[in-house]
Amino acid sequence: MRELLLELWRYRELLWTLVIRELRVRYKNSFLGFFWSLLNPLVTVLVMTVVFKYVMGMRIDNYSAYILAAYLPWTFFQFALLDSSQTILVYMPVIKKIYFPRAVLPLATTFANLIHFLLAMGVLFVYLYLYVGTPLQWGLLLLPVVVLAQMLWVVGLSLIIACWNAFYEDVKYLVSVGLQLLFFLTPIIYFSEQLRATTLIPEAYREPIFWAYHLLNPMATLAMAYRKLILPPITLIYENPAMGEAMRFTDMPLPYWLLGVNLVLGLAVACIGLAYFHKKEWEFVERP
Amino acid sequence: MGTLSQKGAEIAIRAQNLTKEFLLSHQPYSSLKGLLLAFLPKRMEHIVALKEVSFTIHQGETVGVIGRNGSGKSTLLGIIARVYRPTSGSITVNGRVAPLLELGAGFHPDLTGLENIYFNGVILGLTRRQVAERLPEIIAFAELEDYIDAPIRTYSSGMLMRLGFAIAAHVDADILLVDEVLAVGDARFQQKCYRKIHEFQEQGRTILFVSHDMEAVRQVAQRALWLDKGVLRADGEVNTVIEAYLQEAAATP
Repeated sequence: MRELLLELWRYRELLWTLVIRELRVRYKNSFLGFFWSLLNPLVTVLVMTVVFKYVMGMRIDNYSAYILAAYLPWTFFQFALLDSSQTILVYMPVIKKIYFPRAVLPLATTFANLIHFLLAMGVLFVYLYLYVGTPLQWGLLLLPVVVLAQMLWVVGLSLIIACWNAFYEDVKYLVSVGLQLLFFLTPIIYFSEQLRATTLIPEAYREPIFWAYHLLNPMATLAMAYRKLILPPITLIYENPAMGEAMRFTDMPLPYWLLGVNLVLGLAVACIGLAYFHKKEWEFVERP
Repeated sequence: MGTLSQKGAEIAIRAQNLTKEFLLSHQPYSSLKGLLLAFLPKRMEHIVALKEVSFTIHQGETVGVIGRNGSGKSTLLGIIARVYRPTSGSITVNGRVAPLLELGAGFHPDLTGLENIYFNGVILGLTRRQVAERLPEIIAFAELEDYIDAPIRTYSSGMLMRLGFAIAAHVDADILLVDEVLAVGDARFQQKCYRKIHEFQEQGRTILFVSHDMEAVRQVAQRALWLDKGVLRADGEVNTVIEAYLQEAAATP
């Protein structure tokens, strides 16, 4: 593993060149290009806010901020995995000509997506703290840890997916379907506390389901962490006319041990991804 | 064999019983279906691209590699560039290898010539700073001063070839792999490339030159390897090997 990382370090100039290249292509060499790329998540969140506030009856001040704080990390996760799944096939003509550690290809895509994500978060922060006037949270100091944990997951998973997709080209379709499912299994358009309080689940199962949900889906813990570190605690009032009664949830503090477990698992997945990719990278050119 | 190897010079490339086999599938593309049907007998063919090939190339030599299509020439260059791992046998390469990269394929067509110089230079082992230092030279050699900021999708195949050669020629590689790309350029640029190749020879660099153009091989190489269906048929003085190769080509219908 140490040699692997050293070799990647030796090729850092190539990695950086690929990252710049990817960002250039994405932003089409223009400053406005970055803002165009924010249009899609903003419109999506706007629609979600309208639906959940006025159709479903969620009563939360500044609801769109709570969605955005979880949705932007989600788009990072989603696009990093989808984009990097293609990289080996796209660069095959170069791969067939010369040696370089192939891992720089999916890694460059994940880093480009990371930079894009950080810029988008910067815009969110400007909006929240300068425009809306959200009080600054102490939790923000922990945010780099959450970003690191997410990056480790993204790196590990995208290396594995890029590798499989190089051998079986339909893997990317399975991944995109899987991501769609995972989106609804991640607290983005709802709050994970709802799982704990809902009367739809028998009381004895609520707690186990709640914790299993966060332990099995890395993005669930991360989305919860982003939300709780960036935004002030909330009291949710959920008025669903169909259900007849209003439901109330009190915000729970972020369980730090959950974040710790997530970080350790992320590190393990990143190491497994690197080692697995390294084991397979010679076979890309010999794919029958 | 290996008659012309300069005694005393350091070894640049040494191949010992180099063998490379490929699996060839008759399915158009690989899919999960293929994985699920893995238990069924597969229509796979074993292709032996190189068979027990041994040779030694010393630093400063220019070696032509000749042979019919599918004789293993590109596979051999691929193994030297560390793209393929040999199935058996061994390969030793001392020094940095620069294959001539074909621009266009695999490169983002929307990026400019300049951005592609950076990408190619870095992939061939330069730092970004070194690429920046050599930019004027590379652009001047490729004669693309007016087009370097244009996206390479607007380039002609000749322009792409010129840029590709210009980059590979300026990365200070110890071993240059030239694979049949010079054919695209016009006569004047070809002459320029040959002058550059002679410059490399004077600097004591090693060149492997793959071509179907026997005159070109004669012009640059002192020694030639003849590959025939993966077997090294001859290794020696360039004219002798080319004669043997052409005689057999004339004899086979």
